[in-house]
Amino acid sequence: MNHMKSVLFLMVVAMLLLSACGGGSAATSVPEQPGDATEVPATDAPASEKKVVTFSWTQEFTSLSPLYSTGWFTAVTQQFWNCWAWNYDENNEPYPYLVTEMPSFENGGISEDGLTITLHLRDDIKWSDNEPITSEDFRFSWAMNIDPKNIVSSTYPEDLVTSIDTPDAQTVVLHFDTPSVAWQSLFTGIVPAHILQPVYDAEGTLDNAEWNNNPSVGCGPYNFAEWESGSYARFVRNDNYFDAPAKIDEIFIRFVPDDTAQTTALVAGDADLGAFIPYSEVPRLKEAGVEIMTQPSGFNEGIFLQVSEDFSHPAMLDVNVRKAVAMSIDFDSFNQDVNLGLVKTPGSFWDALPYYNDPPVEPYPYDPEGAKALLDAAGWVDSNEDGTRDKDGVEFIIQHGATTREVRQELQAVAQQQLADVGIELEILNFDADLFFATYADAGPTYSGELDLQEWSDTPSGFPDPDIYYWLCSEVPSDDNPSGTNSFYICDEELDALIQEQASQLDPAERQETVSKINQIFHDKVYWIGAWQDPDVWAVSSRLTGVKFSGVTPFFNITEWDIK
Amino acid sequence: MVRYIVKRLFQGLPLLLVISITLFLLMMNIGDPIATMGGRTITRQSDRERLTRQLGLDKPISVQYLYWLIGNDWTKVDSDGDGIPDNYGTRHGILRGDFGTSLVTRKPVTELIGERIPNTLLLMVASEVVTVFFALLFGIYSALRQYSVMDNIMTALLFIAYSMPIFFVSLMSMYIFAVLFKKWGLPYLPTVGMFDPQVGKTPWQIFIHMILPVFSLSVTYFAAYSRYIRSTMLEVLSQDYVRTARSKGLPRRQVVYIHALKNAALPIVTVIGLDLPFLLGGAVVTERIFAWPGMGRLFLDHVSRSDLPVVMGILMLVATAVVVFQIITDIIYAWLDPRIRFD
Amino acid sequence: MNNQTPTLSELADDLITPPLTLWQLGWLRFRRHKMALFGGVILILLFIFAFGGAFLYTEKYANFNDTSQRLLAPSAEHPFGTDSIGRDILARTIYGGQISLFIGLVSVIIETILGIIIGALAGYYGGVIDAILMRITEAMLNIPTIFLLIVMAKFFGGNVPEIEIAGRVFSGSVIVIIVIIGATSWMYLARIVRAEFLSLKENEFILAARATGTSNSQIIFYHILPNTVAPIIVSSTLSVANAILAEAYISFLGLGVMPPTATWGNMLESSAKYLDSAPWLWFFPGMLILLTVLSINFIGDGMRDALDPRSRTI
Repeated sequence: MNHMKSVLFLMVVAMLLLSACGGGSAATSVPEQPGDATEVPATDAPASEKKVVTFSWTQEFTSLSPLYSTGWFTAVTQQFWNCWAWNYDENNEPYPYLVTEMPSFENGGISEDGLTITLHLRDDIKWSDNEPITSEDFRFSWAMNIDPKNIVSSTYPEDLVTSIDTPDAQTVVLHFDTPSVAWQSLFTGIVPAHILQPVYDAEGTLDNAEWNNNPSVGCGPYNFAEWESGSYARFVRNDNYFDAPAKIDEIFIRFVPDDTAQTTALVAGDADLGAFIPYSEVPRLKEAGVEIMTQPSGFNEGIFLQVSEDFSHPAMLDVNVRKAVAMSIDFDSFNQDVNLGLVKTPGSFWDALPYYNDPPVEPYPYDPEGAKALLDAAGWVDSNEDGTRDKDGVEFIIQHGATTREVRQELQAVAQQQLADVGIELEILNFDADLFFATYADAGPTYSGELDLQEWSDTPSGFPDPDIYYWLCSEVPSDDNPSGTNSFYICDEELDALIQEQASQLDPAERQETVSKINQIFHDKVYWIGAWQDPDVWAVSSRLTGVKFSGVTPFFNITEWDIK
Repeated sequence: MVRYIVKRLFQGLPLLLVISITLFLLMMNIGDPIATMGGRTITRQSDRERLTRQLGLDKPISVQYLYWLIGNDWTKVDSDGDGIPDNYGTRHGILRGDFGTSLVTRKPVTELIGERIPNTLLLMVASEVVTVFFALLFGIYSALRQYSVMDNIMTALLFIAYSMPIFFVSLMSMYIFAVLFKKWGLPYLPTVGMFDPQVGKTPWQIFIHMILPVFSLSVTYFAAYSRYIRSTMLEVLSQDYVRTARSKGLPRRQVVYIHALKNAALPIVTVIGLDLPFLLGGAVVTERIFAWPGMGRLFLDHVSRSDLPVVMGILMLVATAVVVFQIITDIIYAWLDPRIRFD
Repeated sequence: MNNQTPTLSELADDLITPPLTLWQLGWLRFRRHKMALFGGVILILLFIFAFGGAFLYTEKYANFNDTSQRLLAPSAEHPFGTDSIGRDILARTIYGGQISLFIGLVSVIIETILGIIIGALAGYYGGVIDAILMRITEAMLNIPTIFLLIVMAKFFGGNVPEIEIAGRVFSGSVIVIIVIIGATSWMYLARIVRAEFLSLKENEFILAARATGTSNSQIIFYHILPNTVAPIIVSSTLSVANAILAEAYISFLGLGVMPPTATWGNMLESSAKYLDSAPWLWFFPGMLILLTVLSINFIGDGMRDALDPRSRTI
C-alpha cells in the first residue's frame, strides 16, 4: 500500500516537473496556436478522379425510411436513393416516374366518380439489388403505413385509401370512399416488400427494422452508403439504376447546424450546396461567387389572425379593424430592406400557385392614414390620450406570437413600432417551436387561443395541390377536440363549406373556381396577412453544372448534375 | 474503507433517483414532442392522436416514469389503438439498461449516445490535456513570481480569455484562421465537421479539424485552471513547512518542486478528477458552432424537440458518472492523504 | 489545511503592524491590488454608461427602428452604428446594459440568499438536515450547468407575460432568466457557507451564546453569519461575472431574453452572422460584456487576496 502510494506520488511529481521544465519547447507538440501550424488542409484535388460533391444541411434527417421520416431534410434525401411514383420538375409540374402516365379523367386513370384511381407501372423499374419494383411494393408500402403496429410519422393521405388491388405486377388500383384530391401525395417514397415483409412477419412491426436507418436496397440514382449520426451521410452512385446513370460519383452530406458556420463553409469551399439560406447571408455568399437559386415550394411567411368571440381581443372581431392592422405594417419596405429585395409580399396564401391564385389577390397596401381612418370609424379612438386607442374602456393591446427565428423577431419589432404609430399596442411573444405548436391539451399558446396574431411560414398541404384544412370548423380545439389545429378559432360557415367542397373536386377547373372563392374570402375578411414569400433558397457552388430544383422533389434531375 | 464505499454507493442511488424524478418532471413540461413531427408543416390531428397513444404519451406522468425506470414488459399495453391492452410491452427500463427509444429518430437511445461518446471524448480530452498542460505552466510560473510584471500581464491576459463568451472565441477564430487566412493565401484551417469527405476520415483530417474547437475550448477553461493552480501554489508556498525548508537553506528548486509541488498536486489532481465526468457531456456551444458530432449537440438537437428519452439518457449518464467519479476521487484522496480517515 | 493556531512568525507580524480590523486591513491590501482598483474604476464607468446614458437617449429611441437605415457603420449620428433593422446600437447598448447588469446583480442576490440559507442550515444543524440539503446540492452539481439552464429555460419559457417595473415594460423572459441563473448557481456558495459554519459553530463564543440561551436564529444570523461575510462577498462578486456570461450563452442558444428587450447577450447573438460585414454589431456589446466580466473578476480577485484572513501580505 505504502509502496503504491509513493509510486503514484512520484508519477504526479514527475508529470508536474516535466511540464514545468518543458517550457517553450513543449509548445510545439501541442496544437494550441492554429496560426503557427504549418499544416495545410488537403483541398487539392483528390488522388482519384472520383467526383464527390458536399452538401451542407442544417438539420440531420431523422429516419431514412419514407414511413418514419419527419421533416423536410429527410424527404428531400429520398430523391437520392428512394423513388416517388411521380416527380415534379422545375415548374413544380408533375411528370410520371415509376408510372407510365399521370392518372387523369381523360386517360381513364381516374374513374368518373373519382372513387377509383389506377396506376400503371413501368416494366423496367427495379430495386438496386436488381429485384423488379412491382405493384406488390406499392400495396405493401400503403399497408405498412396504415398498420397500427407501426408508429409511422403520418398516415395521411394513405388513410383515405380504403383498399388496393394488384391485378398484375404492373397495375395498382386504389379505392376511395370519397373522391380526394390528396391522391397526388400518395407514394412519396416506397419501401421494398421483398426486404421488409420478412422483417414485419418476424417482429410484428417495422419500427425497429435495420433498413429504416440503413436502407441497403433503394431505387434512386444513388445507393445509401453510410450515415454517422451528427456528422455526415454518404450516397454513392447506383450502377443498377433503371434510368440514365448519375454523373457525380458520390454525394456527401454534412450536418452543419449553425447558419453562420454553414455560410463560412460555403464561402471557404468546404461545401458545394446549402439549403435554407437566410437572406441575411446572401450578400456574403454572392460576394464569394456562390450562386443563389430560389424555387417556390408553396411556403409563405404570414400572420394568421385569430378571430374568436371567446379568445380574441374584441377589436379583432371587426373586419375593418383587421384591415387596418394589415394596412399599418409596411411589409414591402421590410422585404426590400431586410429581405434584400429577394422576395415580395404575397397577397394570397396560394401565392406560389398561380393557377389557383387567379385572379391574383394583391396585398393590402401600406397606408397608415387609411388605417387610422378605419379605426376611427370603427370606434377605436384614443379617448384617454395614453397613446393607445380604446373603446368602452378596453385598450387596444394585442399579442403577436412567433417562434424564435430571427427574421420573425425583426418583423415583430418593426410591426410593433408601426402599429404603435396608428395607436395599437403590440405585445411580442416568442416560443420554441415545440412549445409554440403544443396542443390545446398541453396548453400551447397558439392552440389555447392566447395569441391574436400568429406568425409562421406555411404552405397549402400537399403542395402543389392547393388543399387547406386548418380553418375547418371541425378543427377548432376544445376539451372534446384537444388536438384540433384551428388555432385561429375561425369557424366561418361559408369558408367551411368551400374548403370541404374543394377537397373532393378532382376536376382542376372546378377546383380552381372554388379555391379562388376561398382566396377572396381570406382577403376580404383578412384571415391571413402575407409577410413575405418563402421559397426554398439554395446556395450552389460555381463548380456545379446542370443544377435545377423543384419545389416538391428538389433533386428531380440530380443525375444531370456534374462538376466543372 | 469497504464500509465507506458501500455507504457512499447507497447514498448515491437515492440521489440519482431524486435527480431522475426531478428531471423527468421538468422534461414533461418543456414542450410537445409531437408538435414538430410534421417537419415544416403542422402535425395533423389524426397523426397527433395516434402518435400520442402509440408513443405512450397519453399515460399519466407517474406511469410514464415507471415505464421509463423499470420498463413495461410486465404489463399489457394497447398496441393497436382499440383501447384494450393486448400485448406485453417491450421496454425494459433504464434500471435494466434500456434507455428507451428516441421519439424523433426511433433509434435506441443507447445507440445514439454510443455513437457520440467517442467523438465527444476525443474533443474534450484533447482540450483538457492542452488546458491542464498550459495551466500548469502558467499557474506555477505566476505563483512563483507573484505580482511581478510577467504575472500581472499574464493574469490580465487570462482574465480577458476567461471573460470572453466561448461563442465569440469560436466564431472569431473560425473567421480568422479559416476565412481570412484563405483569403490571404496563408495555410488555413477547415471550418466545420470532423474531416474532409474527399480525403476521408484519416487521423490527420480529424486532427486538423480539431484544432479550432480545441483552441476555443482551451482558451476558456485554461484561465480558470491557471488561476486555481496559481492560488493553490501560493497557499502551499505560504505554509510553514515550506518556510522551514527555505530557512534551512535548501536550494530553491528543491523547495519548489519537491516540497511545494508535492503538496499542491493533491488538490489540483482532485479538481481535475472531479471535472473528468463532465467531459462526457461535451460542449454544447462549441460542438454546435463547429458541427462536431458530440453529446452536446445531441442534447441540443433533442431538447429542442422535447425528446425525453434521449435528453434523460444523456443527463442520467453524466450524473451517474459524476457520482462514481466522486467516490473514486474520495477514495484516492484518502489513500494519498493520511490525515483523512473514513471510520 | 485550516491552521488555526497562529505561528510564531505570524505573532511577530502582529506585533509590528498596528491592530487593524479585517476590513481596514482588507482595504489596505485591496488598494495595493492595482488591477482590482482598475477594475473598480472601469465598473463605475460602465454603470455611469448604462444608467447615466438613459439621460441622453430615451428607451423609445433605443427601440426605434427604420429598416432603410439598417447596418450603417458608426458615424456622428450613430456613434456605434445601426443594427439589422436600423436601431441605434449606442442607445441599445445603454438600455441593454441596464438589463444585463440587472440580470447579473439580481440573479446573484437570489443565488446568495439561496446559498446562505441552505449552507447555513446544513452547517449549523448538521445531521439529517445537512444530509438532505447536501444531497440536493450534490444533485444540482451532478448536472452540467448549461444543460440545467437549457432545460429550465424551456420549462419556464412558455407563457410569461410582459412585466412593468418602474414605468418600463420588460419581456417576462428577463425574470425567467434571473430565476434560472440564480437557481442553478447557488451550490458552490452553499458549500462555502456550510464549511464556514461547520468550523465556526464549535468556537467558544458560539458555545457561550448557546449556553446563555440565545435562540438558534440569533446565533445563525447575529453570531456566525457576520463572520462568514468575507468569503460570501468574494464568491458573490465573481458570480456576477458568471451570471452575465450565462445570460450571453443562453441567449446565443436562442433561449435567453426575448427581443425587443435588448441585453448585451442577445445583441451579440444576432450579430454573429455579421462577423465580417458589420463588425460594429458584435464589437460594442462584445466589448462591454468583456469589460464588465473582466472588471468584476479583477475586483473579485482583489477582494479574495484582501479579505483572506490567512493571507498576511499587506
